[in-house]
Amino acid sequence: MSFKYYDELKKRLGREPTPVEIEAFIVMWSEHCGYSHTKKYIKMLPKAENAIQGNAGVLPIDDKWAVAFKIESHNHPSAVEPYNGAATGVGGIIRDILAMGARPHASLDSLHMGDVTEGIIRGISDYGNSIGVPTVGGELRISEFYKHNPLVNAMAVGIVERDKVIPSKASYPGQVIVLFGGATGRDGIHGASFASEDLEGEKATKLSIQVGDPFMEKQLIEAFLKMKEEGLIEGAQDLGAGGVLSATSELASAGDLGAVVYLDRVPLREPDMEPWEILISESQERMAVLTSPEKAERIMEIARYYLLETAVLGEIIQEPVYRAMYKDEVVMEVPVSVITNPPLEDVYPYTPGEIPEFKHIPFKEVEPSNVYFQYDYMVGTDTVLPPGFGPAIMRIKGSEYGYSVVTHSRGDLGYQDAYWGTYIATLEAVRKTFAVGGEPLGITDCINYGDPDEDPEGLSAMMHGLKDACEFAGVPVVSGNASLYNTTGGKPIPPTMVIGLVGRVKLAEVVKPHEGDVYAIGWDRFSPAYERILWDVIRKLHSCGCFIMAPSHMNSLEGYKNSLAEYGYALNVTDLPDVNPVHSTVLAVCENNYCIDEISKTIPVHRVGAVVKV
Amino acid sequence: MPQTYHFMIDIQYKGNVRDPRGETIRKVLVGEYNLPVTSLRIGKSVNIEVEADSPEEAEAIVRKACEELLVNPVVEQYEVRMI
Amino acid sequence: MNPKAAVVVYPGTNCDRDTYYALELAGFTPEYVDWHGDVKGYDLVVLPGGFSYGDYLRAGAVAAREPVSKSVRAYAEKGGLVLGICNGFQVLMEMGLLPGGLLENTSGTFICKWVDLEITDTDNPFLSRFKQGEKIKLPIAHAFGRYVKVGDPKVALRYVEDVNGSDEKIAGILSEDKNIFGLMPHPERAMEKLLGWDYGKNVFLSILDWIRGGNRVV
Repeated sequence: MSFKYYDELKKRLGREPTPVEIEAFIVMWSEHCGYSHTKKYIKMLPKAENAIQGNAGVLPIDDKWAVAFKIESHNHPSAVEPYNGAATGVGGIIRDILAMGARPHASLDSLHMGDVTEGIIRGISDYGNSIGVPTVGGELRISEFYKHNPLVNAMAVGIVERDKVIPSKASYPGQVIVLFGGATGRDGIHGASFASEDLEGEKATKLSIQVGDPFMEKQLIEAFLKMKEEGLIEGAQDLGAGGVLSATSELASAGDLGAVVYLDRVPLREPDMEPWEILISESQERMAVLTSPEKAERIMEIARYYLLETAVLGEIIQEPVYRAMYKDEVVMEVPVSVITNPPLEDVYPYTPGEIPEFKHIPFKEVEPSNVYFQYDYMVGTDTVLPPGFGPAIMRIKGSEYGYSVVTHSRGDLGYQDAYWGTYIATLEAVRKTFAVGGEPLGITDCINYGDPDEDPEGLSAMMHGLKDACEFAGVPVVSGNASLYNTTGGKPIPPTMVIGLVGRVKLAEVVKPHEGDVYAIGWDRFSPAYERILWDVIRKLHSCGCFIMAPSHMNSLEGYKNSLAEYGYALNVTDLPDVNPVHSTVLAVCENNYCIDEISKTIPVHRVGAVVKV
Repeated sequence: MPQTYHFMIDIQYKGNVRDPRGETIRKVLVGEYNLPVTSLRIGKSVNIEVEADSPEEAEAIVRKACEELLVNPVVEQYEVRMI
Repeated sequence: MNPKAAVVVYPGTNCDRDTYYALELAGFTPEYVDWHGDVKGYDLVVLPGGFSYGDYLRAGAVAAREPVSKSVRAYAEKGGLVLGICNGFQVLMEMGLLPGGLLENTSGTFICKWVDLEITDTDNPFLSRFKQGEKIKLPIAHAFGRYVKVGDPKVALRYVEDVNGSDEKIAGILSEDKNIFGLMPHPERAMEKLLGWDYGKNVFLSILDWIRGGNRVV
């Protein structure tokens, strides 16, 4: 196997790397684990000043509660095996926010494919429904561009008491690492590095397929939250790409400490596994927690109660080295910082041009209710505004506040201009959030891109577009993920930035669908200046009780029509404005025209129809 | 003169692909029913009838059905048995 | 003192917390009872929805044979009130406490949506607050909800339109003695107008009326 950073590794270690080290660093220095191509861009993005305990993805909602959220791609596994690829994508992102101490509360997706792949939808449905986390939104975009490289991005939101956020770092030598969850097999060995390769390679066929086990995931969630409730967890990290190695080295590194792990203690499903395979296996449904030696036994007792495998995997040490042992032999010993500081590619210079004259590239948008009726979007009894209206609204029981959440992308624009495609997708997500009464809190971004070694400029354009849009809107980026090398036969997907946006919502001010006249409000062209005015108008109309819809395409209102029908309403609109592929327009359903008169002085307004009771 | 042939298709995950359903049920049988079950894998079976001129042609049709739709060759294997 | 309700939790149950919350809203004092537990002494036993043991064999099959299920059987045989929702309904059927079977929906997919239902029996502890023939809305969320009739079940709830291919659009049935009620729709998800409609509340209030009326059996 070729290893791009072999020479760099040799230099940093000051010696020839061993075969085990090469296997380990192929994983850890891959884009998927190490963010080698994107880390310097990520540093440019606006940060949240109010993030809790330095845990980037956790933002306060009220005095008691915070939301934790993140989006992640599972594109490559889904290309090889749609059902299990999509299912394990959901599982992975759920564990990510669980590790912060949050109870998984809502999940969403963003799917791009050549034609409707039932396996992907069913994979998400079977897994998400079973674990009892409602799937409350998403997008499904169909285009030939994604025929060989489907995009499966999954987002999860969790809720956590502000003072109970779990740090993802080690805090003192002697702290023990307890592993629990499913037994470890050879699943997904080299999945991480595979996720950073062109799909044509022969590895595509050799990869060990990961199979999702939603029952185990559900048990893992409950076990983890029980341990948290009993105050047993001092730090946590889920096991994803890079398995034991990634999770434990990151915990140690974040605390400026070292770690020793005993690979022979890991419960195995395939007893003949080599030590290095145990070290990097991506077996799903596993979690590593840090605790004091005296609390470890209780943690394992809880794990066993929930029918999970468990073991004390190792411990935190003062010396900043990572040492992997197998039956009293050292399998690998390297400085922790070498593992967690991969070589980083430089920022490629980029200066945006003017907004281009976008052409209409039709993406077939599938009627969303066909899909979301297959997802349990109500379990948890917190779904206030169901999927189908743009962002969903979730309440938090016992709080005056809830949150809105949406995933949104514009690959059709990204294909024409990576910078403005990203910029506009971001601003549209903000517009959609205002439309349901949300006050934007933070963004999680999923970068879906082709080959940055071939075309570094496009990636740079996307990242600059995200940065500039977030600065314009005043919304921080709190977490994210990158999927690069989405190419087949050298042909890349359009630069597709998926925005996951969470807003804060005052529950007493939620506007549900209702009857009234429908007005098209805004301009048939997009501009940042128009957008700014439109946002103010949206907020005004929302406070007047108007129900606002913010479709990206005025010619595809089927989804809204079907979602309104669920409430017993019909959307009758004619004379819709002939708007450009990008516009700054929303549709507002208002019961009286008092507010409409008021705003018509500042923005174009046209009555286009009505919402009536069926 | 075409005839109707009847087959059973047994579809299982390939040996190296894990079967969480089977693993879970095996654990229940061992842990709660105290049965010495060492392996349990859950698959699907398909009961299928086809019309063909010969048994060989019939089996070829069934195999085509498997390869084109019934079986996911990435993770599943299958066996065809005439009954 | 509020009546005590047991919320039975199997590994993989996922509507236990929703059911607990709904019972509290309705005026019960709920308690979780896990799969090793015993439901003796409660005023009501609820088997909530979810995917017990992942539904990896047949929906409800493994759960129906757990120790707590044996105690549910003893409780029901003495006339105790048992409410089985969704996966709980499937468990009751696997236990043989309710007649018939629940198979995959005709669509072959999971279906989650609000559906229209008709109340067809009000002379029982679970639906006395409704009128005979009343039309209500409750959510469904299942992949295996197609009711297949065996014998002549006491039908208490029917879908107004066919949603999953159930025989005679049956959505919920009572045991012969009417102390056991199993249904595929989720009344615990329909407790507050904030989330849509609140018809489910009357299911729990009917049970409360019945218990407060001195009808306690166990």
